[in-house]
Amino acid sequence: MILRAEWTKLHTVRSTAWLALATVITTTGLGAAASALTAGGDLAKASLSGVYCGQVVVVVLAVLAMTNEYASGLVCTTLACAPRRTRVLIAKAVAVTATAAGAGLLGVAGSLVAARILLQDKGFTATAGPTLRAAAGTVLYLGLIALLSLGIATALRHTAPALTTVFGLLYLFPLFGQLISDERWHARIEQYAPMPAGLAVQATTNLGDVPVGPWTGLGTLAAYAGTALLFGAALFITRDA
Amino acid sequence: MEPVTTTSIECQGLRKRYGRTVAVDGLSFTVEPGRVTGFVGPNGAGKSTTMRVILGLDAPDAGTALVCGQPYRSLRAPLRRVGALLDAGAIHPGRRARDHLLWMAQSNGLPPKRVDEVLEGVGLASVARRRAGGFSLGMKQRLGIAAALLGDAPVLLFDEPVNGLDPEGIHWIRGLLRGLAGQGRAVFVSSHLMSELEDTADHLIVVARGRLVADISVADLLARASGDQVLLRTARPAEAIATLTAGGATAALTGPETVTVTGLPGERITALLAGLPISELTAYRASLEQAYLELTRDGAEYTAARVA
Repeated sequence: MILRAEWTKLHTVRSTAWLALATVITTTGLGAAASALTAGGDLAKASLSGVYCGQVVVVVLAVLAMTNEYASGLVCTTLACAPRRTRVLIAKAVAVTATAAGAGLLGVAGSLVAARILLQDKGFTATAGPTLRAAAGTVLYLGLIALLSLGIATALRHTAPALTTVFGLLYLFPLFGQLISDERWHARIEQYAPMPAGLAVQATTNLGDVPVGPWTGLGTLAAYAGTALLFGAALFITRDA
Repeated sequence: MEPVTTTSIECQGLRKRYGRTVAVDGLSFTVEPGRVTGFVGPNGAGKSTTMRVILGLDAPDAGTALVCGQPYRSLRAPLRRVGALLDAGAIHPGRRARDHLLWMAQSNGLPPKRVDEVLEGVGLASVARRRAGGFSLGMKQRLGIAAALLGDAPVLLFDEPVNGLDPEGIHWIRGLLRGLAGQGRAVFVSSHLMSELEDTADHLIVVARGRLVADISVADLLARASGDQVLLRTARPAEAIATLTAGGATAALTGPETVTVTGLPGERITALLAGLPISELTAYRASLEQAYLELTRDGAEYTAARVA
């Protein structure tokens, strides 16, 4: 019941449809551009690099799904309808993640189609095992980004601080990584920072030489998302609405 | 509507503080079915906090709030038990009115046709597909009331439902509240203006600074404030005073042909004075506002025995 209600709630505001569409367009668009411009190397990873842009939209979608309720005071209505708060948060997480991953799936599929057209002569095959793993992993990555964002938004309740925190968590570590010349620290950031670790799932070449394995990396991001969600849930359940 | 088996709303020793401010300070009262109970007090008296605690939105620091004998948070499908209007502005401006009620209905397993029924009932059927952001304050208030009525609940809470309404809207809400109580529901309505509850409330819970000031029926409060005085106009005041005094009343000449009587109801007075020429007999009636001011001026905490 509550899942259906949260789904209806999410999909009866225009912003959700626009943001989902924007996720698809930016992921495919940037991916196609990268495919057109890539000089070679990991072609699958290049073709899926639209996720760098698509995830920004996913973060906004997931954060707004929660902070909009606090901004309008609607959260009180939500909790009056469904006083069992854990269920509310789970239902919202399912609705938001399914929407984000659904848009991500379309964006990734679009990226692969574009890569097939643009990279055929460079030897790209969309159906190769590692490429499919990279593609499926990217969809999961976007789903986990949605969960991470929702967890942080639940804890912070306000749009601006939540967006700042999520983007800081995603982009600041790689930014530091570029400034640090020490190789060991570079590898640690690749291994433990949520975005580089999560996107390790996109690697399809030189797999023996990466700082973190594809699924291990995605698992690291899942740990971040799980922690954020648990932290948000603990506050959501104990705090006054 | 599910039958009410226990007291509708029951608060016992509620305390709630926000930081250093004590919003509710040991509040106990019950709300009975079949009548409109006004929840009155100045702004900041703790009315909204109490309602939030009843609805399980805020946790009390001490005491309990039960709805239909249970804490709100343990209710299954709570909208079928309690309908509430807290803040009519708490809607997403981009969502259509019907969709706003639809997700609420779905969350409690209520059929979509119930949404159309309540929209019809509050007069919003023609704007059901409009986005709520474009609604006037009165329309938002009606949408909030539609939401409260959605589950056909036996217990209804309205926090300042009259705020910002035009006279027509106020008239409509009064009729609605009376009608809901007439159907046997418990109707709990807060207001910071006693005059808003005149002719609407049967019973009053008066609070100030988070404490109970009075828990009294409107009739008792008015009788108390009016001091149960009757003004009598007669051409033979001396005889009237003698007869009434003998009958147990206190009667005094307060004008050339006017006698002020206390201590006897109007019917007894007319019975005693049968045979005397009476040109006028009026009960002095204080307004609810006057009665309320008298209550709060005393500052005393007194509670009338509740009518069973």
